[in-house]
Amino acid sequence: MAEGAETRVADDGLRRPWGTILAFLLPALTLYVALTAYPAVRTFWNSFHIVLPRREEFVGLANYVELAGDDIFWRAVSNTLVWACASPVIEVSIALLLALALYAKVPGARFFRVAWFTPVLMSYIVVGILWLWIYNYDWGPINVALRALGLDHLARPWLGDPDTALPALIFVASWMWVGFNMVVLLAALHSLPREVIEAAELDNCGWGGKLIFVILPLVSATLLNLVVLSFIGKMKIFDLVWITTKGNPLWSTETVSTYVYKRAFEWTTFDLGYPSTIAAVWFVIVLAAVLGLTRLFKLREKLEY
Amino acid sequence: MASLKRSILLLILCGYTAFAAGPFVWAAMLSLRTTTEIHLDHFALPDPIHWEKFPDAWFNSNYATYFLNSVQVVVAAVLIVTIVGAMAAHCLARYRFRFNRLIYFVLFSTIIFPPQITIISLFQVLVNYGLYNSKLGLTLVYVAIQLPLTVYILESFFARIPADLFDAARMDGYSDWEIFWRVALPVALPAVATTVILNFILLWNEFLFAVVLITEEANRTLPLGIQRFIGDTQEDIGMIATGLMIAIIPVVVIYAFFSEKLIQGMTAGAVK
Amino acid sequence: MAIVKLDNLTKVYDRSHGAAADSVSLEIGHGEFMVLLGPSGCGKTTTLRMIAGLESITDGTLSIDGKVVNKVPAKDRDIAMVFQSYALYPHMTVKNNLAFGLRRRSVPRAEIEEKVQRVAATLELDSLLGRRPHALSGGQRQRVALGRAIVRDPKVFLFDEPLSNLDAALRVSTRVEIAALHRRLGATMIYVTHDQIEAMTMGTRICIMNGGRVMQVGKPLHVYRRPVNTFVAGFLGNPPMNLIPATVTDRDGGRSVRVGEAVLRVPEKRAPASMPGSPVTFGIRAEHVALTAQTGEDTAEIAGEVVQVESLGAETIVMTRLAGVENNFVARVAGDADVTVGERCRLFLDLSETHLFDAQGQSMSTEPNERTA
Repeated sequence: MAEGAETRVADDGLRRPWGTILAFLLPALTLYVALTAYPAVRTFWNSFHIVLPRREEFVGLANYVELAGDDIFWRAVSNTLVWACASPVIEVSIALLLALALYAKVPGARFFRVAWFTPVLMSYIVVGILWLWIYNYDWGPINVALRALGLDHLARPWLGDPDTALPALIFVASWMWVGFNMVVLLAALHSLPREVIEAAELDNCGWGGKLIFVILPLVSATLLNLVVLSFIGKMKIFDLVWITTKGNPLWSTETVSTYVYKRAFEWTTFDLGYPSTIAAVWFVIVLAAVLGLTRLFKLREKLEY
Repeated sequence: MASLKRSILLLILCGYTAFAAGPFVWAAMLSLRTTTEIHLDHFALPDPIHWEKFPDAWFNSNYATYFLNSVQVVVAAVLIVTIVGAMAAHCLARYRFRFNRLIYFVLFSTIIFPPQITIISLFQVLVNYGLYNSKLGLTLVYVAIQLPLTVYILESFFARIPADLFDAARMDGYSDWEIFWRVALPVALPAVATTVILNFILLWNEFLFAVVLITEEANRTLPLGIQRFIGDTQEDIGMIATGLMIAIIPVVVIYAFFSEKLIQGMTAGAVK
Repeated sequence: MAIVKLDNLTKVYDRSHGAAADSVSLEIGHGEFMVLLGPSGCGKTTTLRMIAGLESITDGTLSIDGKVVNKVPAKDRDIAMVFQSYALYPHMTVKNNLAFGLRRRSVPRAEIEEKVQRVAATLELDSLLGRRPHALSGGQRQRVALGRAIVRDPKVFLFDEPLSNLDAALRVSTRVEIAALHRRLGATMIYVTHDQIEAMTMGTRICIMNGGRVMQVGKPLHVYRRPVNTFVAGFLGNPPMNLIPATVTDRDGGRSVRVGEAVLRVPEKRAPASMPGSPVTFGIRAEHVALTAQTGEDTAEIAGEVVQVESLGAETIVMTRLAGVENNFVARVAGDADVTVGERCRLFLDLSETHLFDAQGQSMSTEPNERTA
């Protein structure tokens, strides 16, 4: 290299106008730091304190110790995990069947696609109220239908029975999300290279063979993505439970989200420290679970809520 | 044989469609009937059609307030998050600098955070700054919660705009700021539209942050209003159904016009 | 019109990778059409982008009309550039694409309109003014990109491989168009390409670059005939010059070289006498090798074997193998030559057209030459 190379400043070619970069990033970073990063850190700080409206007191790990022995919390964790594990399986498998049906060039595919997608556009609030009615003991369509079929003994207050409340809510969430999963899978199917499927046909593959040996492996990345998305969504679930059961009956539908809300804003303890501890522990659990899942599926990027 | 198979398939598909859309059709019918009529038969067609229930809910049940609050908060939040998010996304996609990928990764990973991690402290922060129970406070929080997704979608689109285009604009004499407004943003309009629609619907339906941060009747958004409404009038099914319909009308209208765009936005990134 | 002067212009992206452009010195005169030619990664595009103001300059100075512009932003250099990808604004009509650069420069509205119309007329874009770029063919897009540069009436035009996205036929016609444009505008143009035909046909001068450095600058034919080193000799010309390792012998006072098993006497003007035994590279272009007997004073005859024949119609490229030489030895002969693979042949070399390069690859010719500045 020529003499004086040491004095040259290395740069990567693009001008780096720090002023401009900062101007573009500053609004976003300010909002992020003020309303996401700082509150998240403060939650961890809270978790080591008792936080009352006019008083804060450092209590060390006391909240964590209490949490370890909090039966309602563990009940909520188990409910949420059951939900987060059941939903992806139900949603993605039904969605796959429907997507394959549409992929087989059925008339009106566009209409079906648009119609099935609608539930996910409605808020959990609207959906929750609708299903409160559908599950109604006296006149809800489900019980009405069961009685009409002479199956009176099966009719029950679906959301009022501790044995059926959680499955009933999982069913509602799945009803809502199957369409979304189906549309994503359909898009994945349509983006498959036609030649590959034709080649499989030439290799004398029947529908089942094509499905197992060609189609499923090719859309596996999408399937796994959807599983992770569904999992994350259910780990956060709050609205649907809050509008329908508020965690009742007997904590059978309590989720971590509803429990945090109750402890922070409904119970008359007024302490924000303990619910912060729940949030902090839950944050770590969710992060670990998502990292574990993605590691398991070896997909690192391209997730969406 | 083939046509028989096809008919069965079609039957299953129609059955599922009824299952997916049925509850809405039912709710739509309930919204046009009075509670007295409903109690006689829960599944009858509306006859006569009680259109007057809509103005009734709008004027007599505070729905107008809820609706306008939602419009204000959501429109303002979508506007801000689109501009702020697009600026950040453009910057991350176009300029190479230290920490670029770090900032992107931090923003992106926020998408998976459970909301509980911020919500309690947000309550404290907003109380401290006098923004608790205000529409401005809720708007800012909405901007913050939709920011990561917005940056994520837009960044991937901005990154696909060829760098030559920006160089050409520079040769044409435009500053970085003008290039963003007059080249990057217009070129990325399809993606921007997608995020606008997506953010609108997600925020229109948002409940958790609203229920924590808003308690005053005058500032309630629609989801809160509905919740309050069913608390007050548990048994007035007909009126609740009307309220639900009012809440979902904007979403239905947007979906009718932009269904493809919306599906595209919501499924973006999930396909691999 | 302008004089663009590059003085030891250097660009270092990453210190561990060395310089992308290394002390490039070059003066481009008024109205000149300078072609920067070289393989990919040779630094020609980096150099062009530094002139444009799109890359910062690590070291050295760049001046336009005597004024140092190192720190002057791109927009104030009065330079227009045509990009390889055309870089048309996809959200604007052709008309707005043409006008976009003028609007910024506070040109009055009526004048913008008039200029756009005039340029559109010259480039036959009149009927396309209302269209968006995606509704244009490749050739039309190319013309819009050209028009966008012309309409600004800049001091200097820069072209970054503007023809590489066109099909072969369009490339020829656009080549002619750009050359005509240069004659008509008389503007200073700097054109980057890796295509030697474009360089040979369009440039008033060409500058051959390799590894970030300028190898040779000169008129196209001159560079072709007098390459200063083995890189230029091998890069310019198709088929490339035959370059064969050789050794200086003790015959003819150190002016003969051993090429394989043959000993060839190189004319005095082509090389000074050298130390017997020193390694050199012997070069001769394919068109100076014949398969039929030649009578010239400096003709040498060697034996070979035909290994491949490519009949191109007007001419035939014959690849041969010489005894004791590893590389193929290529001859370019008339299209009607009757040669078959595998036959033994006699090759007649015009030694007055040979090139000798020393161990460092530099030409040993003693003829006056336009050297790199």
